[in-house]
Amino acid sequence: MRSIRFFLIASILAVITLCNFVAALQGYRASLEEAEQLFDRQLYQTVELITNLHTGHFESRLPHQGDLAYQVWHNDKLVALSSASLTTPITDFSPGFGHANFDGYRWRTLVHYDNTHDNWVIAAERTDLRYMLAESVITQAVLPILLGIPLAGLLIWLIVSRGLKPLRDLSGQLKNKQANDLTPVEIPELKSELAQVYHSINALMRRLGTALDREKRFTADAAHELRTPISALKVQLHNLREELPAENQAFAELEAGVERMQHLVEQLLSLYRSTPEEFSRNFTHLNLYQLAQDVIATQHDDFEKKQQVLELEGEECLVEGDPFALATLLQNLLSNANKYTPEGGSVRVTAEPVGNHVCLKVEDSGPGIAPTDYGKVFERFQRLNRKREVAATQGCGLGLTIVRHIADLHHARASIAPSSFDSGAAFIILFKKAEENEHR
Amino acid sequence: MLLNSVVLILQEILEAALLVSVLMAFTRVINLRVYWLAGGIGLGCIGSLILSLNMVTISEWFDYVGQEVVNASLQFAITLVLALLTLLYSLKTPATLKWLPFCMTLAVACSLTREGSEIFIYIEGVLSQPPHIRPTLTGSGIGAGIGISVGVLLYYGLLGLPQHWIIYSCLLLLAIIAGNMSAQAAVLLIQADWLSSSIVLWNSSNWLPENSIPGHLLYALIGYEATPSLLQGLAYGAGILSVLMAWSLGRICNKATP
Repeated sequence: MRSIRFFLIASILAVITLCNFVAALQGYRASLEEAEQLFDRQLYQTVELITNLHTGHFESRLPHQGDLAYQVWHNDKLVALSSASLTTPITDFSPGFGHANFDGYRWRTLVHYDNTHDNWVIAAERTDLRYMLAESVITQAVLPILLGIPLAGLLIWLIVSRGLKPLRDLSGQLKNKQANDLTPVEIPELKSELAQVYHSINALMRRLGTALDREKRFTADAAHELRTPISALKVQLHNLREELPAENQAFAELEAGVERMQHLVEQLLSLYRSTPEEFSRNFTHLNLYQLAQDVIATQHDDFEKKQQVLELEGEECLVEGDPFALATLLQNLLSNANKYTPEGGSVRVTAEPVGNHVCLKVEDSGPGIAPTDYGKVFERFQRLNRKREVAATQGCGLGLTIVRHIADLHHARASIAPSSFDSGAAFIILFKKAEENEHR
Repeated sequence: MLLNSVVLILQEILEAALLVSVLMAFTRVINLRVYWLAGGIGLGCIGSLILSLNMVTISEWFDYVGQEVVNASLQFAITLVLALLTLLYSLKTPATLKWLPFCMTLAVACSLTREGSEIFIYIEGVLSQPPHIRPTLTGSGIGAGIGISVGVLLYYGLLGLPQHWIIYSCLLLLAIIAGNMSAQAAVLLIQADWLSSSIVLWNSSNWLPENSIPGHLLYALIGYEATPSLLQGLAYGAGILSVLMAWSLGRICNKATP
């Protein structure tokens, strides 16, 4: 993920560096040219001084300097010279600035003809020393620009961080919001650039809150309104059974239809209760093995009816969770196993610690599920075309979706594998183990 | 000294920064992690240290043209790796895509080894002359700053393009870099007398001298030469074609696979 802050800091710093350094280079070149002209003017003054000093034919009165050489020629005779200079002309007798090489260096030369005394004055300065002197002065001016870049970087970082603070605050508030917290976002100092985002988010929160409230009311009303007539229907069915012969086909189908409707309503309510938005996190430490025992006890009759062997294996294992939700999870898994296991088949429930986890496994000896369908099993209203002998089994396709939701709420992982029986499926829920000392 | 240092360091840094920026933008657009960059930089630094510390010995190889041959080999290696990278990317299979970070690490390591060793040798030489230390280091800092800044702006500039243009722009720039590397390698081999210099293709010294600042910049960016030889031109074209053909070949194979 790309960071706006990093982008701003890096690109602003790059632009500043580029502009400053190119400007510094331009300044450096211009300053070098200026220094060159300054040195030339200085050389010219030196030549003027030598010209004025050498009005007669006498020796040099100038003190010797290593970076300066001069000669005074009169009628092709060398009449004055610095000790560093040659005894032959340093350069041609053509007035003006030029360059010459001697003494192992390159020199800047100036030739001047003094027509009053018929003297040729030649002065020369070492170019490397002139260049080094100029560069040393100019580098002093350029260096602070270079050293200023880290400081500029630090300041840019602080300013950009300060500038992005409202965005960071907004992002932090959204991140820290609970799943069911739909209260408006509060920004103490609203910036104009964020006003639209802020208003849009709060409007969305309001709309979402209203929609959820409506859904909540609808579900509560529907639960109430549907349960009552279904109960009444069941009473009427019970009465009707007394009046009709036992093998009446239409009555049997009607009874199955009402059972299915009641099951569907109960499952819809369970699903609603277990969605993350509405789930109340009353997590406690509980023994999953004990819970499995309790749930098996309540559902044992269903297995008896189909003469199925129901086993419970494992040992005491602690998880952190909501007892009601976990009981619903187990009921759904057991109900699923009961439905899809043929008469006389086997179902095994295992609850045991595995490393840092607790594994809850419900295996059946039914026809099983093709591995290609594993991904679809937990989807809503998904009823796989399993080659069950129990094709007539009633279900609404929500049971395993509820299992997955409850597992997610407990940060557990739900998966499917082949069962350890000759055929069948194993539903495995892997919980994080609760610390025993916390429990005590 | 300051200006010389700027030109030399800028030229070296710019070449490496260009490659790194394009590869980083390429990495972003194909949703890979940029961890390979750390490996490339680490290997490049180690390689450049080894190369610069042993340059005296290396330069005596192959009848005293070892430095040219080693540098040319590194540049040819970059060209080949870039062509391979393009081929692996254009094949677009999980088996080929997993090799992309390795190729990018190798390309950056080769580039940094060559550029870094030249910088080390230059700085080491200057440090033995105290009067030149300050202007040289200042110039090196300025050159490095400009080179890295151009790299950063190029990276964000590429990422600012429309999504479908980024990949084509990266491939085009990789082709130019491959051409540049290939041409520079040919020049080094001509200098080493391993290849014979041939006909000069053109002479643009009057319009844009090589030793001017724009000339140096263009050399680093696209391998500009005022008087390129025919062989150099052919090497440049071959470098560009290697990347473009790898791209086409990969796409053809990809389409042919049912």
